[in-house]
Amino acid sequence: MEEVLMQKLQILADSAKYDVSCSSSGADRNNKGRMGNAHAAGICHSWGADGRCISLLKVLFTNKCEYNCEYCVNRRSNDFPRASFEPDELARLTIEFYKRNYIEGLFLSSAVEVSPDYTAERILKCLKLLRYKYGFAGYIHAKIIPGVSPEIIHQTGLVADRLSVNIEMPTSKSLAAFAPQKKPKQIFAPMKQITNTLIETRALKGPGTMFKGEKLNSMDKLVWPAKGNPGALVDPGSTARKGSFAAAGQTTQMIVGAGDETDFSILTTSENLYRTFKMKRVYYSAYIPIVDSPILPDRNTAPPLAREHRIYQADWLLRFYGFNVGELLGGKNQNLDPDVDPKVMWALRNLDNFPIEINRATYEELMRIPGIGHISAKRIIRQRIFRAVKFEDLQKMGVVVKRARYFVLCCGRYNGNKRFEPETIRNSMLQMENGLQLSLFDNKWMRLEEGERLEKLATSGVI
Amino acid sequence: MIDYLYDGTFEGVLTCVYHHYYTEEAAGISVKGEYQPSLLHDCMYVETDGAKASRVYEAIEKKINSYALKTVYRAYLSNDPHKEMKILRYLVLGFRNPYAAGHNRSDPAVFDMETLVKKVGFEKERMLEFVRFEAIKGDRADEGDDNDGGAGEMLYAEVEPDNDVLELIGDHFSDRFKNNPFIIRDLGRNKALIAYEGHWYISEGLPENLNPVRTEDEISYQRLWQTYFDHIAIKERVNPRCQRNFMPARYWKHLTEMNRK
Ligand code: SF4
Repeated sequence: MEEVLMQKLQILADSAKYDVSCSSSGADRNNKGRMGNAHAAGICHSWGADGRCISLLKVLFTNKCEYNCEYCVNRRSNDFPRASFEPDELARLTIEFYKRNYIEGLFLSSAVEVSPDYTAERILKCLKLLRYKYGFAGYIHAKIIPGVSPEIIHQTGLVADRLSVNIEMPTSKSLAAFAPQKKPKQIFAPMKQITNTLIETRALKGPGTMFKGEKLNSMDKLVWPAKGNPGALVDPGSTARKGSFAAAGQTTQMIVGAGDETDFSILTTSENLYRTFKMKRVYYSAYIPIVDSPILPDRNTAPPLAREHRIYQADWLLRFYGFNVGELLGGKNQNLDPDVDPKVMWALRNLDNFPIEINRATYEELMRIPGIGHISAKRIIRQRIFRAVKFEDLQKMGVVVKRARYFVLCCGRYNGNKRFEPETIRNSMLQMENGLQLSLFDNKWMRLEEGERLEKLATSGVI
Repeated sequence: MIDYLYDGTFEGVLTCVYHHYYTEEAAGISVKGEYQPSLLHDCMYVETDGAKASRVYEAIEKKINSYALKTVYRAYLSNDPHKEMKILRYLVLGFRNPYAAGHNRSDPAVFDMETLVKKVGFEKERMLEFVRFEAIKGDRADEGDDNDGGAGEMLYAEVEPDNDVLELIGDHFSDRFKNNPFIIRDLGRNKALIAYEGHWYISEGLPENLNPVRTEDEISYQRLWQTYFDHIAIKERVNPRCQRNFMPARYWKHLTEMNRK
């Protein structure tokens, strides 16, 4: 049995590791300095050779796919080693890994073998065995395949801690182009069902905050299932999970840079997902070209990581800083600025709102100043009860002064540039960051090499 | 001033603190056997005394606070060669000025303690991540009519932490494994955390009748894990420095995925 299982594990781990396929998650991406713990289950047990945290057993249930999504290694027309787990096989493997303290849980997604329901039923069987036969109380994140029947989704939600349905593409147009067998309805129906069940069972918690009229800090309220329901091997049958449906909520994820969507349409879709489905998170994944396709970027294209990063920052502004997409983008501004973060971009376009007097601004206004986050905003408010906040104090309060200085007044004094105009401020910021008043990126979000930049400088007449 | 020697127990340290106040001021406190005789001071072996120790224990709790007690205990678990004197200095400060002991980080006595406590806490977290269990055959194989895997099987792990963190991880793992028995053995200190049916205790060495023998499929699962580990990494993004940062090489010996036999 060992050799066969070993091969399956190799194939199905290989299939799961790239972000672009049914496997993609975002849930265990490296945390780019955001709040909270990016790791679904809290504890990292190991770090792979690529330096990524390993917390969950992340595999596909099967990669024998009936579908032919353009961007995916597992698509039907790709000549590629194939395998499927047996339900009991994977359940057993998971519990044995868990017992040995290799992992905190299972992240299971899958290709479509035979039909969505056929595959989903086998997955459900596996998860039930894991929970009830092996008494597993660790963390389970299950991906829902588009087109699965509602009853199976419900059952799966009862054994999993988190469910997600990938939206895959930012628009229905590119979904039709890149994943023709997946229909928008098949994606939105399960999302809606999950949201409704969460509301019914009153399990809808956590961020997406701005869209629930909740206050900011709600990241603290994030409830990891591992806490109230500690990972443990419990006697079969006695698991205290009755009635809890996907307690860790619903997430989704979309691919960035496969089609030609603008940042505006990507973020608009996210905003709608937050509003409509009260998603916990939308994850973005820079497209890594691993397949050849006439309608996709060719294999040598580097994944647009810089763009992904800016989109995450903008998403953050939507969820925690009270921004909406229409304020950030629209009209002739369809894309984020690669060189400055989205808040700076917004501030430069709305310079007539600035500079803001630190000692009089409301909390909401403070939050909109570049370089000020919710912690520093709170500190400022606390401090100014006792005495006025001076420019010298900003650093101690955790404000990123090199960004904020252009946009604030401290006791009526301005400490930024002499000329208060967008281009001047932008240039001084760029100069701070890279020594040259020139963008680090080309128009495809690729980082420019030193030589290319000098050339550009020369042709623009700066040197 | 005098150098005190003690038996290495927490009660022993507290007894030395007692003598510092009631017998003679301490110049140094060391575990007997690790003591380097000094020309400057006489030395005296302090017999650990439960009554004296508990007077100090209660004094810390009442006159300073229970946080200080916890701090002192965690510091005692560290492997710092000067931990006893650091504890003493901290307590001397705390008895004089309880507030300072809790808040004044710029005082070296407080800073030293916090550093020790942080190190111990950090390694405890690492142990939660890095302990690797093996399934071994239990000593009562005759009870083997349970269902799958339960039959006379037990989880067994070996660790060599720098600090004495074994008892700090007992709650976590006994919660994780609930009723399943497990043993975590600290090779360097020759002690073991033994858990059974949700309770755990620390024992000297291993129980006599225990002779860890792996179950038949243990090696298979180890190989499966290694395989998974190798295949989940994205080759285009190999980053050994990052990996080493999170998983320092001194722990590799007991990490199934890093130590291939
Ligand atoms: S359904 Fe599409 S994305 Fe999912 S595995 Fe199959 S081909 Fe890949």
